[in-house]
Amino acid sequence: METSETVRVVAQVLGPYIGETMARSATEAHCEKLGITDGSISSEQTEALLGKLAGGLNIFLGRDKAAAAIAEVRSALRSREAGR
Amino acid sequence: MTKSRGVDLLPWVILALVVVVYGGWALAPSSALYADVLTPELLLAAAALVKLVYLLAGALWAFACRDRLEEDNPARPAWALLSVGLGATFVGQLSYAPYQLLGRAAPFPSVGDLYFILAYPFLVAAFVVLLRAYRESGFPVGSLGERLAIVCGVGLLATVVAVPILKPVVNAEGPLLERVLTVMYPVLDLVLLVPLALLLRVALRLRGSHVGSVWAFILGGMIFMCVGDISFAYFSALGWTHLDPFVHLTFILSYGLIAGGAYRQYRLLHS
Repeated sequence: METSETVRVVAQVLGPYIGETMARSATEAHCEKLGITDGSISSEQTEALLGKLAGGLNIFLGRDKAAAAIAEVRSALRSREAGR
Repeated sequence: MTKSRGVDLLPWVILALVVVVYGGWALAPSSALYADVLTPELLLAAAALVKLVYLLAGALWAFACRDRLEEDNPARPAWALLSVGLGATFVGQLSYAPYQLLGRAAPFPSVGDLYFILAYPFLVAAFVVLLRAYRESGFPVGSLGERLAIVCGVGLLATVVAVPILKPVVNAEGPLLERVLTVMYPVLDLVLLVPLALLLRVALRLRGSHVGSVWAFILGGMIFMCVGDISFAYFSALGWTHLDPFVHLTFILSYGLIAGGAYRQYRLLHS
């Protein structure tokens, strides 16, 4: 999957929790820190990104709800991948 | 409308009603309604009760949020500090209750001021801890330059706005302790505004979300608290006691919004 598409899906799913603007900027910031560049993103990179996002979401939502939100993101990414 | 949605809406309906009643009192204090039915004594007692309920609810919900977060969650101490800050304000307000519930103005200064002042370090610390938690979690809180610009901007704005407002307060006659306290509240509010302004930057990015609504309420409540303290200081110094209803209104709104924000966070963690 393309990095930009991943960022879009993450922002869409996390939007109701933390707002699309925050979700997008947090995802882009984590991508930059993880060295994820434009182009395709590997499943290992995706997992690393989701791990970082989960750590941040803990602050706002607590561990259980953050884990549930990340599971939603993972599921949305899989659906997108499967639909290609 | 479902029963649970109705229960969720009830506190906001009550808050809206309170705003209408106290807003009306501030705008038309000499009207027949406020002279004969909703008398100042009655409204003072009701305001005391409403403030106590909101403060206690806010402190308990903030503590419940702390309780719902894991021990290693960096936001957990922030909710505990917010709870203590609101609790100290509740105790201060409680010390006014014997006077206000009987429709009499509370003495100033009093032991209550000790608790009101004690609340500020806890509130400031709560927001600083939260900001640090956001930054460490990788959420964008702005570059150092941006944050410095916000701090300087707030400092400059506070100076420009506060100095002319506080000038008559400083020059007012009266016992030294009374004048010191009257100035201290707005000054402490201005200190509180610094982390609030930094949090506002984060909150703007959260807009339209569950977490965004939590912070919209809490930050809105804190801003009303600052407005209430500055208004109280200014009106007291100028002897404009007829504007007391406006001061009550700002504090009721402040405590109501903060309690609402803490409740939303609790629901978010609990759902």
